[in-house]
Amino acid sequence: MIERVKNRLRKRSGKNRIKQRLIIFSVLVALLLLLALFSEKLCPYDPAQQNFAIALEPPGPAHLFGTDRYGRDMLSRVLVGAHISIFSALILVAVITAAGSLIGVAAGYAGGKLDAVVMRISDICLAFPGLIFALAIAAVLNGGVENAVIALAAVSWPKYARLSRSQTLAVKQSDYIQAARLAGNTPVQMILRHILPNIMGQILVTAMLDIGTMMMEIAALSFLGLGAKPPTAEWGSMMSEGRSMLQTYPWVVLTPGIGIFISVALFNLLGDTLRDYMDPRNRRETVKNS
Amino acid sequence: MKKKIMSGLLILVLLIVGITGCGSQQRSDETGSSGDEEGQKTFVFGDTTFNAENGEPDINPHNDNSGWACIRYGVGETLFRFNDEMEMEPWLAESCENVDEYTWKIVLREGISFTSGRVMDAEAVKECLEDLVKNHPRAAENLSIAEITAEDMTLTIRTSIPVPALINYLADPYGCIYDVQAGVTEEGIVQGTGPYRAVSLTTDSEMELVKNENYWNGEPKIDKITVRTISDGDTLTMALQSGEIDAAYGMPYASYPLFENDNYTFTSCETSRVFFGAMNFESPVTSDPAVRKAIAMGIDKEGFVETLLGGNGYPAAGVYPDNVSFGGDVVSAESYDPEGAKQVLEEAGWVDTDGDGIREKDGTSLVLRWLTYPSRQEQPLLAESAQATLGEIGFQVEINNTADHNRIRTDSDAWDIYVSAMVTAPTGDPEYFFKYHCLDSSSNNDGHYHSDRLEELAQEMAKTFDADKRAELAIQMQKVILDDNAYVFCSHLRMSMISKANVTGLTAHPCDYYEITVDLDIE
Amino acid sequence: MKRYIFKRLLLLIPIVLGITFLSFAMMRIAGSDAILQQVDATGIALSQEVIDARREELGLNQPFLIQYVRWLGGFLTGDLGVSYISGNDVFSTFVSKLPATLFLTGSSMLLTVIISLPLGILAAVRQNKFTDYLIRTSSFIGSSLPNFFVALLLMYFLSIRLPVFPVISEGINLKSIVLPTLTLGIAMSARYLRQIRAAVLEELGKEYVAGEKARGIEFSATLWKSVLRSCLVTILTLMALSIGSLLGGTAIVESIFMWDGVGKLAVDAINMRDYPVIQAYVVWMAMIYVIVNLATDVIYRLIDPRIRLEGERR
Repeated sequence: MIERVKNRLRKRSGKNRIKQRLIIFSVLVALLLLLALFSEKLCPYDPAQQNFAIALEPPGPAHLFGTDRYGRDMLSRVLVGAHISIFSALILVAVITAAGSLIGVAAGYAGGKLDAVVMRISDICLAFPGLIFALAIAAVLNGGVENAVIALAAVSWPKYARLSRSQTLAVKQSDYIQAARLAGNTPVQMILRHILPNIMGQILVTAMLDIGTMMMEIAALSFLGLGAKPPTAEWGSMMSEGRSMLQTYPWVVLTPGIGIFISVALFNLLGDTLRDYMDPRNRRETVKNS
Repeated sequence: MKKKIMSGLLILVLLIVGITGCGSQQRSDETGSSGDEEGQKTFVFGDTTFNAENGEPDINPHNDNSGWACIRYGVGETLFRFNDEMEMEPWLAESCENVDEYTWKIVLREGISFTSGRVMDAEAVKECLEDLVKNHPRAAENLSIAEITAEDMTLTIRTSIPVPALINYLADPYGCIYDVQAGVTEEGIVQGTGPYRAVSLTTDSEMELVKNENYWNGEPKIDKITVRTISDGDTLTMALQSGEIDAAYGMPYASYPLFENDNYTFTSCETSRVFFGAMNFESPVTSDPAVRKAIAMGIDKEGFVETLLGGNGYPAAGVYPDNVSFGGDVVSAESYDPEGAKQVLEEAGWVDTDGDGIREKDGTSLVLRWLTYPSRQEQPLLAESAQATLGEIGFQVEINNTADHNRIRTDSDAWDIYVSAMVTAPTGDPEYFFKYHCLDSSSNNDGHYHSDRLEELAQEMAKTFDADKRAELAIQMQKVILDDNAYVFCSHLRMSMISKANVTGLTAHPCDYYEITVDLDIE
Repeated sequence: MKRYIFKRLLLLIPIVLGITFLSFAMMRIAGSDAILQQVDATGIALSQEVIDARREELGLNQPFLIQYVRWLGGFLTGDLGVSYISGNDVFSTFVSKLPATLFLTGSSMLLTVIISLPLGILAAVRQNKFTDYLIRTSSFIGSSLPNFFVALLLMYFLSIRLPVFPVISEGINLKSIVLPTLTLGIAMSARYLRQIRAAVLEELGKEYVAGEKARGIEFSATLWKSVLRSCLVTILTLMALSIGSLLGGTAIVESIFMWDGVGKLAVDAINMRDYPVIQAYVVWMAMIYVIVNLATDVIYRLIDPRIRLEGERR
């Protein structure tokens, strides 16, 4: 008996810790988003202003992050880059997650013909070697961040469809879902109330992780020459353009790299914590306690 | 249990599908480091341009641009060659006589044989040239050969129209002479007369060369040469740093500082490749002479060359480089003058009425669509630099940097200025540039530039044989296009090769054709 | 089971048709063609007659559908045409380079599993402890570095600073494969170890884990036998998906390390608009991918009987 109380207490404090972390990371991510939103106002210099006289200056008091080969202030460029990099990745992930998982859950739940058709379509899209296909799309659309996002969305959604479908299949057979179905829930209710919440955790973790992945994919397109157009400051393109200066003028490639690292880490941490928070173990605890 | 084993097995199959498939394919060749190996001298050359993308899938000179690879790596040689002043001199030929406007008599050098063993005589050269014009459309068009007769060591070429630059054309890489009877292997290897002989070739990957023991012009010093195609500039940098290659062509400028020390040697040369913008005369913006003038005045050529190219080049005035008599500063162009450019625009009625920093005239914004392509590392830099300097004058420059530029440039509604990097005198003769870029009949005149005066001068050049007169015409023609500001020439490229300090005899040449020669050695 | 597999194989047909048609359409809309592409790469201009003549020769001036049907017919008879650029037979070029890519894909997959599976489980078991944070922080770093950058770092440290592995691969051998494998494996592991961690945590939260604990069964036994087995669905899905992205993702890495596989071939071909090669690449990669997926679905069935296979329903 005492053991059980202790256990429950421990779990509750764990729950509180998770809540704490969730708040902290949410605030940090919110801050990052705010920073990205208002980055243009925070820049010490005009990020597009070139000045050959001060090209490739190492980090110093005048230019905290140094300057690039056009003599542009790297700090300003990294700040402005936050806007494009973060929001393009966010939009991309939001679109593919929403579209992909709805399609996947519907297919997995309904089964039969719908499932077969949807899965065949996603098979076709998935079967395309992703990057090569995105490259081809981006080539058709002629570069630019927007087009890179469209290209990547076209090849990335089936991943979520597949993932959520396989999750749905696994959940569908479980006793409580069967019970809920017998209780007379409509398919829409079933999906929204019982299936989605159960598979959300996994999808959210994947989505949060994917924010980083998508930044990388945009960077890969930049590497192959189909990313942001100049003078747009976008982290992936900045790294790609500066990569040959890694040994000679490392700040040009490392400073946008730090930007990517911080945002990827924050989104991932938030994703993990969210997952912990929505974990059925913890949820059932809350239900019992309330 | 059975299921478990099966699933385990299937997973295993998924994992090692490649490994099992390839185990037998492993090659154990350890080329690795170079230099002296068992008394053999080896040399590894890294090149970013030896690839199918450049039209160099192999070394068969009659296939597209593969002649470049054939001549650069010392496999093939041409009848005539360029000296350091870009003047013609005999190479496989001994002498040449222009009998009349249509007839050329070429005497070949004695004592040369192909690496196939066959002796090079007029008959062999005749066979090769006939094969060339049959398979190489550009060569056929340039040479306009009507008939070739071979007699012992004397070759007589009759052309169907007067071809004043015939000798120059024969020095183009496609003019490499090889033994047609020995043929072309499946890999695209030919038997030439050069100091080295190719033994194996994999497109876009590597080529192995060995010494030609019977070379006619001295003894090659390296036993075995590997030419590696390395498409990524950073990989090239690291490969030279780690010593896997002995010399490199196509190094990114940003890597130069790493090699500016005693362990490496640079060899550089000005080439006839020029970065230039062609104006679109159909565009509402660039059809205005004032706008074109402002663009010419608004590009910081010095800054581009000094800062972005690290001094590897020099600002261009006209079409041709310094090292030809009709090139360099024999003509002059607008100099960088932002204030002057603003005034030109102001006077022409381009004013910023709404205060957004971009000028307008009659409801049209001064938006300049800058079309260029990424396969030359300098072009995106030029575009981004011009974007800023022209931006200060009141332009809004929209860069379209795409590999798809060739389709886009044929649509005159899609761009205002097309910036490319072209070799302006691949044969050392001025006619080529105008013929292909600036005339009504030019395939590359997508901006539809037209000048009556230029057409007249071009017709005159087509029938002028005297070199000095051709040079004089070339200068006049450059003045015409510069007066119209139809083109803006930004800079000439300085080509560099970087090698380890123990490599000698690797010298950059202004025409960019000769890299590996009989002089190459490694200590 | 046999019937199911047969059915899935039949389903390959519409998929392959869809794939070929889409990619064919895609490349054609892109516009620029092989001949024009050469002009800018070399900086040597061609006259319009020369360009037209070569187009004629390659059949580039025919209507779209005819070009597609012609190509598909050729494909079915094992003839993928010749490369516009090199003039070599596409099929034999492709087949000769495919093993290199499969080799690299296989070794990267293996490395990914070797790194991410134990670390993912460890992080889950030590949730919110120091080990967990350490592993996760490393994974953040790993997943915030673009492939090309990881490649540069590896080259710098393992080829120049500490000359162990070659920068440019010298044929398809074990020494040359290390750096490309590490490049791919690091990025993949960073992503997947966190997925695995999440999946294991999910499982650990289930009641039977507590139940087994209550029955006095060793935690490690529960972990290895029950938990891991239940996580396999997720892990397998991830792996199957990652083979797809690995097959495509090798492209950049192959180009950087001069690893002579089909990925490099494809990137070169896209730059050059070398349609026959791109078609061959897309269709073959798609085939491999679909087969891998079929295998995955079969494995699902084997490890998790709760999932019924479509073919066996009746």
